[in-house]
Amino acid sequence: MKQRITYIVRNPDEFTPEQLEVIGRSLNIQKLNAAKEHRITLGLKELPRELSKAFEQWHELHIRWASEKTYPSIPPFTSRVTSGLHVFFTPHKDQPEGQLCDLLHYAFGPDLKCSSTNEASTKLPILSERFSMSASSQYYSYLPTLNSLVSYIQEEVCKSSVKACKNAASSLLSASYLDIDYDTISHAVVLNAFWSGSPEANHWTETITLPSKDQTTEVGVLNYEKNPDPEDIGFGGFLTVLGQDDAPKPTQFQTPTRHYPLTHPLTYTTTFQPPTGLHPTLHLSFPASSPLTPPDPTCKLHTHLTLPSPLFIDKYQFSDPLFLTSHNLVSLHSISGATDLEAPDWVVPQWGSAALFELAVPPSSGNGNGNGKGGGQADWNVTITLHLRYLPATGGGYTRVPIAWPVVFWACRAEEGTKMSVNPFDRLHLGYEGLFGPRTRFMHGSPAEGAGRLVEWVTVPVLDLRKTKWVEVGTIGTVVVAFLGLCWMLFGRKTEVKNGGMTKKKQ
Amino acid sequence: MALSSFFGSPRAVFSAATILRAVFLVYGIFQDAYSPMKYTDIDYFVFTGAARFLSYGKSPYARDTYRYTPLLAWLIYPTVWPGFWFSFGKVLFAVGDIVTGWMMFHVLRRYQNMSQERALKYASIWLLNPMVATISTRGSSEGLLGVFVTALLWAVLAKRIALAGFLLGFAVHFKIYPFIYATSIVWWLENGDRNINKSGKSSTSSSPMARLFNCVTPQRLTLAISSFITFMGFNVATYLAYGWPFLEHSYFYHLIRIDHRHNFSPYNTLLYLSSSLKAASSFHAASSLELERLAFLPQLLLSAVMIPLALAKKDLPSTMLAQTFAFVAFNKVCTSQYFLWYMMFLPYYLPDSTILRSRPIGIAALILWILGQAAWLQQGFQLEFNGQSTFVPGLWASSILFFLINVGILSVIIGDIKAKDSAMSIVAKKKA
Repeated sequence: MKQRITYIVRNPDEFTPEQLEVIGRSLNIQKLNAAKEHRITLGLKELPRELSKAFEQWHELHIRWASEKTYPSIPPFTSRVTSGLHVFFTPHKDQPEGQLCDLLHYAFGPDLKCSSTNEASTKLPILSERFSMSASSQYYSYLPTLNSLVSYIQEEVCKSSVKACKNAASSLLSASYLDIDYDTISHAVVLNAFWSGSPEANHWTETITLPSKDQTTEVGVLNYEKNPDPEDIGFGGFLTVLGQDDAPKPTQFQTPTRHYPLTHPLTYTTTFQPPTGLHPTLHLSFPASSPLTPPDPTCKLHTHLTLPSPLFIDKYQFSDPLFLTSHNLVSLHSISGATDLEAPDWVVPQWGSAALFELAVPPSSGNGNGNGKGGGQADWNVTITLHLRYLPATGGGYTRVPIAWPVVFWACRAEEGTKMSVNPFDRLHLGYEGLFGPRTRFMHGSPAEGAGRLVEWVTVPVLDLRKTKWVEVGTIGTVVVAFLGLCWMLFGRKTEVKNGGMTKKKQ
Repeated sequence: MALSSFFGSPRAVFSAATILRAVFLVYGIFQDAYSPMKYTDIDYFVFTGAARFLSYGKSPYARDTYRYTPLLAWLIYPTVWPGFWFSFGKVLFAVGDIVTGWMMFHVLRRYQNMSQERALKYASIWLLNPMVATISTRGSSEGLLGVFVTALLWAVLAKRIALAGFLLGFAVHFKIYPFIYATSIVWWLENGDRNINKSGKSSTSSSPMARLFNCVTPQRLTLAISSFITFMGFNVATYLAYGWPFLEHSYFYHLIRIDHRHNFSPYNTLLYLSSSLKAASSFHAASSLELERLAFLPQLLLSAVMIPLALAKKDLPSTMLAQTFAFVAFNKVCTSQYFLWYMMFLPYYLPDSTILRSRPIGIAALILWILGQAAWLQQGFQLEFNGQSTFVPGLWASSILFFLINVGILSVIIGDIKAKDSAMSIVAKKKA
């Protein structure tokens, strides 16, 4: 087992090296106001037999989970995925599909909509063939907490080092996001959890101890330093290899990066204006206070949506330039998954669909005329028309469907695409990088802090089972009566009609 | 008087019908060019999308929701050419309208012995109907079907039986439902010699075998064979070209469709209910009787068997109206485009109808027909755009109400046709 723990100090001016103290094989941390990333690398042999067998079913498997609570990001951890559970995977060639649904139901909760791997997952579109790092299939579900995973780890995985393992597992409950990666080549499972801040108070006070001599644990406490080369990000701070270093060692480095921080923050909110009816419209609002100026002329603003199966996008709507313009959209770049335009939800086995849109930006912010404050005074609104499938009848006549806020980012051209993976904090398999070329830099927007939750609930009218008692009898009865009445009109009361008006008139 | 001189001239009526469509077409082009709300029907984007796939050498079924014969996409193939050609299909459908109206005019003149002015007035129910003109210029193919069905009627009345069989086979290949006309046409065609002498009344003395044999006439055989060969010919050809997706999308889809998005059909709510319950309890046996599975029975018994048998010999065009009306009213799916299917028969039925002769009945029928739809549309709007769960009782009750209104109108139509002299005697009178 290898561990790497990285703290990124929120306010470098407040930080002093005295907050760190090495005692034997431990590092004491005092009142550190920082974001934290904890990465654990496990060999397959270190896992319980059943779990390692489950991982071995795949050529590669990448799980991304993000909390529904808003959190502030900090370089280098600026990349985002929509709230919920994402799974990207590639099955082995020439082998039967693995048991994804069993694994997910077991580890993340039995309620996930997943009937079989083949049916529930969808193919991940890849616009750039050269970008061979993408997984082939995708699955997603709304998942507000990691409760199930935590108890799964505590019961099934923590067998030897009980206490520390159980504590580590329950710390996941406050994580902002969690990544789990496995691939055949490294034969290792990497767990990577991120906390935007300490769950207790505003700072971390904790002791990190090397679990045993044959393991390595490296702890970094870093400041993000601005103004290195334009394509790089730089950090300074202290590194400690537990059991090896007597004191934190000063360090400074810079690295090319796929997810580049923005100098002007880009914030947005997602809303659905009621009444949403059967065609909810997703509103993305960019406040006038954060101008939509491309950080660089090659940058284009995008949003990536992950829609659960009750909702779908009609791609044909987005082919008309006038329609796109009226919604402040440039184009629908990609759509994949369950895109059937008619099917009710109960015949759609797939998890849902994903779509990538390029967004328009206010005209004044594109040209440099508006002395830096361009972008207009009003908020910039982008609207995306969605449609609801018919959902199963319920006792109340209404159902609620969760829709995670989409991610919003600038996609820009990067000079050095291949070097990005040398970044020790590189993050891949987010569902949308495969839709761009390898030389792409992403600069992410942040959901507005005040929003609270990053999931909107849309109320869907459905058939009310309390009122359907008479529907079957009423319908069949009406049809039968109508049918018999027409039969009587056709074959009954012959004589009456023969004397009727028509014949008389003609004669 | 201006009106009467207008209807006195075929040139004036047909010019007006053409201009009406040209105006709608040009208006539509402008609206499409300047507004994000499109005049063009969504279906037209489906057809033209399918034609575009053809131009790439692919199957038209590569376009989602293309549920038609590949011939339709081929018919409007020029829409893939640049510029104004995009509207080619709409022009074709509009021309189809005019051709349909022209055939109506001739059927009315020739087979219903109308004066030119009267025939033009009744043909104008179709020709100058803004609803018909809108539907075809928005790019819906239902109007094109009018050409085939009206041509079929004309061919039958003109006793061009082989041609009628061809048109019947083609119409069924194109849109399935015209198969209901087969029985009425067969029944309308004269029986063998023995029965003709008794002017249409079937002989009670002869044995069942003899009567059956009597029914098989050269005309009926010709119709059966030519329609079957045409139908199967088109099917085999399109199957060879486009394979399973052709059968799946243009035929099987219509038999097993499970999209219950609200529509005028009385079955709509019940289908939603039972399908949703079945999904919820997929592991248990379904508890309901699933009587809705038998919905095709009253529909087909009425439209393909009983109405033809009871009425076809009296008046074929009006019988076809009654059949279509019954088929649409009792269908499991019903949208306003289907109303066009029976509208193309109104000009033959209305002249001698109670609906026109009795002002209260006629006005009541029209108002109720419109009110039934309005009530449903209001409920539909509350559901679709205001998100209110109006499935029950609102939408269900209004679809049942609309159904009953339709059945009421249908019974008036049936009563009118029943009251007519048999077609045989009309033909006999004409010959005399």
